[in-house]
Amino acid sequence: MYAYIIRRLLMLIPVLFGVSVVIFFTLRIIPGDVAQTILGTDATEDALAQLRKDFGLDQPVMKQYFSWMGGVLVGDFGESMRTGRDVLPDILNRFKITFELAILSAIISWIIAIPLGVIAGIKRNSKTDFTVRIISLLGVSIPNFALATVLILVLALTFSYSPPVGYVGFFEDPIKNLQILILPAIVLGTAMAGAVMRMTRSSILEILRQDFVRTIRAKGAKERLVIFNHALRNAMIPILTIIGMQIGVLLGGTVIIEQIFSLPGLGQLVLTSINQRDFTVIQGAVLFIAFVFVMINLLVDLLYSYLDPRITYK
Amino acid sequence: MKPLLDINRLNIDYQSNKKEFNIIKDINIQIDEKMKYGIVGESGSGKSLTSLAILNLLPDALKVDQGHIKLNTDSTKDLITLSKKEMRKIRGNDIAMIFQEPMTALDPVYTIEYQLLEVLKIHKNYSKKEMHQKGLDMLNKVGISRSEQIMKAYPHELSGGMRQRVMIAMALICEPKLLIADEPTTALDVTIQAQILDLMNDLSESHHTAILMITHDLGVILETCERVAVMYAGQIVEESTVENIFEEAAHPYTKGLLSSIQSLGERSNELYSIPGNVPTPDNYQELGCRFATRCPFAMDKCYEQEPPMFEVQDDHASKCWLHVEEAQDDERRTSRAGS
Ligand SMILES: Nc1ncnc2c1ncn2[C@@H]1O[C@H](COP(=O)(O)OP(=O)(O)OP(=O)(O)O)[C@@H](O)[C@H]1O
Ligand SMILES: [Mg+2]
Repeated sequence: MYAYIIRRLLMLIPVLFGVSVVIFFTLRIIPGDVAQTILGTDATEDALAQLRKDFGLDQPVMKQYFSWMGGVLVGDFGESMRTGRDVLPDILNRFKITFELAILSAIISWIIAIPLGVIAGIKRNSKTDFTVRIISLLGVSIPNFALATVLILVLALTFSYSPPVGYVGFFEDPIKNLQILILPAIVLGTAMAGAVMRMTRSSILEILRQDFVRTIRAKGAKERLVIFNHALRNAMIPILTIIGMQIGVLLGGTVIIEQIFSLPGLGQLVLTSINQRDFTVIQGAVLFIAFVFVMINLLVDLLYSYLDPRITYK
Repeated sequence: MKPLLDINRLNIDYQSNKKEFNIIKDINIQIDEKMKYGIVGESGSGKSLTSLAILNLLPDALKVDQGHIKLNTDSTKDLITLSKKEMRKIRGNDIAMIFQEPMTALDPVYTIEYQLLEVLKIHKNYSKKEMHQKGLDMLNKVGISRSEQIMKAYPHELSGGMRQRVMIAMALICEPKLLIADEPTTALDVTIQAQILDLMNDLSESHHTAILMITHDLGVILETCERVAVMYAGQIVEESTVENIFEEAAHPYTKGLLSSIQSLGERSNELYSIPGNVPTPDNYQELGCRFATRCPFAMDKCYEQEPPMFEVQDDHASKCWLHVEEAQDDERRTSRAGS
């Protein structure tokens, strides 16, 4: 098991190396002068030259790459070309918000999706099942931004609500923090719930058809025990796959939702730094997101073996 | 004395909003306490459905249409009309069941200990320690030696034979009055088959458990049972003691089954088998005998009118028109001899 984890962590090296190469050189291919974009059209030649020198933009591309990587390897992601601040602490600060939003959305999605999916699976082709399937279809197909805008409009018109501006950490003021995050979390959560609901329904259906369910019923078990201790536990494996993918995507930042609710998350950071050609920030953020994605995958794989004893890693 | 289990005119229908047809028709079976009773028949003859109906475990689309299944323990209960709650008290406790596929009959994500003790937890009030001890004892009784180790194992870590032993342990741990075994050895190697049958014989005697053995293999019946019902296309076509059936089979279908195993024993090159297949329920003969289409002796009458169960000898019934012909022949012969 530990050997497996170590091997998986070692695999991070080629993955992150590949990502760094791709992002670094793609940025360099984009036409246009970075210094000009950052400083504006009325910048002096001297200022432009100074910026290029500071960030090594006047060096050969290969040399630029290796000096960036050299820093990254010792935990120095460089400084933002716009603000001059260290990139990594900025990314981590933004990531805290994105992370909290992702977890909150996921919890909301499970609270909605898993019970409804189970009920739909048990009562296949009933009215409940039909309703649940329509809800999940809506959840999957309504675009986030539409739901977010409608939600804000409705709340604004009926309760004269206005979306809070700025962000307060959970440990500073939990109530305020939740007030800020709850709406975007509901929007993301309901969108995620659709897919989870469908997967829950179909895997419960599939498990209930299996022989061992009959064995458990033949023991005299209550239906509650059959469903929760046995069917759901077995169904969790495919459900976990979906959940893992969704969280992985959310942790990369949700650009549109962060924009609509003016949340300073990772998605917003990436978006603004792309607009501003802030190369060091883009590179750092992309590398960081890739790292998080790989770690989530590892976590999901480890959870598999916890849920299903037939899956073992050596 | 009342039999332990009394199945009386059991009928099972398939019912969906598209169509409806009969599958199991007028099954009568009486099983006494400690008796070993067999149901034999080809695949598709309705053996499993009959046994599932006893514990109300039929698939959704199938319904018991009429009939009674009386269980006589301390009191008499009709299992057909029992509430869900009452039925749960019987399952695993008074009547236990083991299934054909030991590979898929256990939940893959729980240990043997969890699944073995689950049934005790449902029905009895033991402390954790007592339950654990009971589990170990029961595993020893079914011939599992490294019981501590096996308790911690998961189903996929055991062989098919071991899993079936675990299933038997699970079925008998609450000391049920009746054990229903649906093809318990079909999925196993021949040598393991014999071991499992021996084990079931021994345990049913030491635990005073009656067995309803369901199989397509007359050899299994011969080795384990006292009485047997031969099923064909959802009906019992012949019923008697195992001796009577093996020595004086009356129904053409039973004779066909017997000659197929006898030719196996003689190692002849030509394996006898009854020509044709068991019809599916939606193709059952509306009128007449359901076996007529495959019967070498079929007469016109067999297609027109359903034969009743004839008492061909004491304690031996068979559902075939030939017995009337035979009786008439005998009568003619005796009357001629008399004249
Ligand atoms: N859920 C179901 N819906 C419709 N028909 C069914 C269903 N289950 C079984 N049947 C039909 O009922 C008949 C009897 O099935 P059953 O499983 O009792 O046979 P069996 O004697 O146990 O055969 P086998 O040796 O194959 O287990 C078969 O023709 C089968 O096709
Ligand atoms: Mg069967």
